[in-house]
Amino acid sequence: MSVTRWTVLVLSLIVVMVAGVAIGTINLSLAAVWHGAFGVGDTTTVYIVRALRLPRVVLALLVGAGLGMSGAALQGTMRNPLAEPYLLGVSGGAAVGAVLATVLGLAVSLLPLAAFVGAVVAVVIAFFVAHAAGGGTRGDPRTLLMAGVVVGAFANAAIMVLLARAPANTVQDAMWWMMGSAADATWSRVGALAAYMLVGGGALVLLGRRIDVLALGEDAAAGLGLAVDAAIRLVFLVASFVAAATVAAAGLVGFVGLVVPHIVRAIGVRQHRALIIGSALVGGMLVVLSDLLGRILLPPAELPLGAVTALIGVPFLLTKLRRLT
Amino acid sequence: MVELRDVSYRAGSTLILQDVSVRFRAGRFNVILGPNGAGKSTLLRLATGLAKPTHGQVLYDDRPLDAFDASELARMRAVLSQHVDLAFPLPTIDVAMMGRYPHYNRVPTSHDRDIVRRALEMVGMREKAQQPYPTLSGGEQQKVQLARVLAQIWNYDEPPPGASRPHRFLFLDEPTSSLDVHYQIHLLDVAKSLLDFDCTVVAILHDLNVALEYGGHFVLLERGRIALEAESPDAIGQADLERIFQVRARRLDDNGRAFWRFGL
Repeated sequence: MSVTRWTVLVLSLIVVMVAGVAIGTINLSLAAVWHGAFGVGDTTTVYIVRALRLPRVVLALLVGAGLGMSGAALQGTMRNPLAEPYLLGVSGGAAVGAVLATVLGLAVSLLPLAAFVGAVVAVVIAFFVAHAAGGGTRGDPRTLLMAGVVVGAFANAAIMVLLARAPANTVQDAMWWMMGSAADATWSRVGALAAYMLVGGGALVLLGRRIDVLALGEDAAAGLGLAVDAAIRLVFLVASFVAAATVAAAGLVGFVGLVVPHIVRAIGVRQHRALIIGSALVGGMLVVLSDLLGRILLPPAELPLGAVTALIGVPFLLTKLRRLT
Repeated sequence: MVELRDVSYRAGSTLILQDVSVRFRAGRFNVILGPNGAGKSTLLRLATGLAKPTHGQVLYDDRPLDAFDASELARMRAVLSQHVDLAFPLPTIDVAMMGRYPHYNRVPTSHDRDIVRRALEMVGMREKAQQPYPTLSGGEQQKVQLARVLAQIWNYDEPPPGASRPHRFLFLDEPTSSLDVHYQIHLLDVAKSLLDFDCTVVAILHDLNVALEYGGHFVLLERGRIALEAESPDAIGQADLERIFQVRARRLDDNGRAFWRFGL
């Protein structure tokens, strides 16, 4: 893809982020946003910009980036245009892991790790089912999707049960986990997630060439000297890790990993290294925008982040599903 | 030369190949023939290193297959199967470029790009280099795959003075089974032309007459064992064919060459 398109992509992302900080219950001018970001101006504005909206926007950006990268890597590796962490049950498993950790009173810093364990358990279950139904190492794509969706539904039920008796003021409630939210972003949470995204996303980009070769199918990839099973497993682990970190930070945000890689492919990106980077940018943009829409569509109510992304993602999924052979 | 020495392969409790020893002749068009379920594809998978034998050894020019690392092997031998589908619309040239995967590290060099261009030229797909692969016809897609394997074991460059070309190996697993006759002949002609460039070809072909026309060494498999090896088409007799394929065979004469008709 040309330099121009990358520039346009980055600029659009910045515009969306600025809008995310400026627009809300109280609208801020661009100047106020600019000054507020540097701590200049009246205390209310500075507080809104630096403590409320900026961390929220950056958290949304990171969540979207992670989900986009995870989806791009999973779709390429599975050779399945519908693969993404939410539909494969990866995110659901991650949420159960994280909820279990909070209910057991584990340290907050262990949340992403618990989420990762949950994600891996979910993916192994979905794969086991799809594999038993035939279709090679990667399993039958439709069965895998069905298994993933069902694992996700089970995860939601598990979250409800686990949190049924949890005191509401000590932990995030079930709604927060199941529908996702960037509302209570803090800089420490943003910092942790940024570190995970850099490590995990960087690893996915490095795996890009192997994902390219996997596109040819297992035998052809093996013929080119790729250790196919090891490569598939590695991509799955890293993609699950990235998705799990977003879940630990913002709950379940569905369909971003599904939609975003298709958008990036539609603007002409093919190779997975570039596709993964592009999906980080577009994913970030989509989630920042979704979070903004959730805040302004039905004021004073705030729509859950996952509800907005589902409103965008489900129609998209249905049109894709219609053409899946 | 590719040699399989006392090779057996077991999948679960089923013995698919049993004590097979065979040498695919260097610089020739070796053909594997046999009825469905005889173990042809398994034999090819073992010969290419895509699967490991339960017993026995596979050797390339007397060196055991285990001694090669994955990318070294991939630079030496390529495998073309029936059909490759892509889930995403990669342009043709990117698909062909995958053949260079074992050769370059991060980005393809100008040499890699040049090879891929020439490979696409050789199969007549240069004009469609930018077209999305899924929009091509089945025959065109197979041409692109052929270009990919040509690029993988590219052996057309002149060797340095005093040196000889390295040996290369091309394996074909029923590459023409979904192709119409034009594409079929084209693919086999290109494969055969590789013989002049120190390449050995090993192919599973299901059309016996086509196999006899292109082949220079024949290995007939039957229920996991070698039923017959022949150096020329004339060494394959009517009784052999009738027994191995469970058909009635009639030899016709096509300007001195054997041509077979089959019935039940």
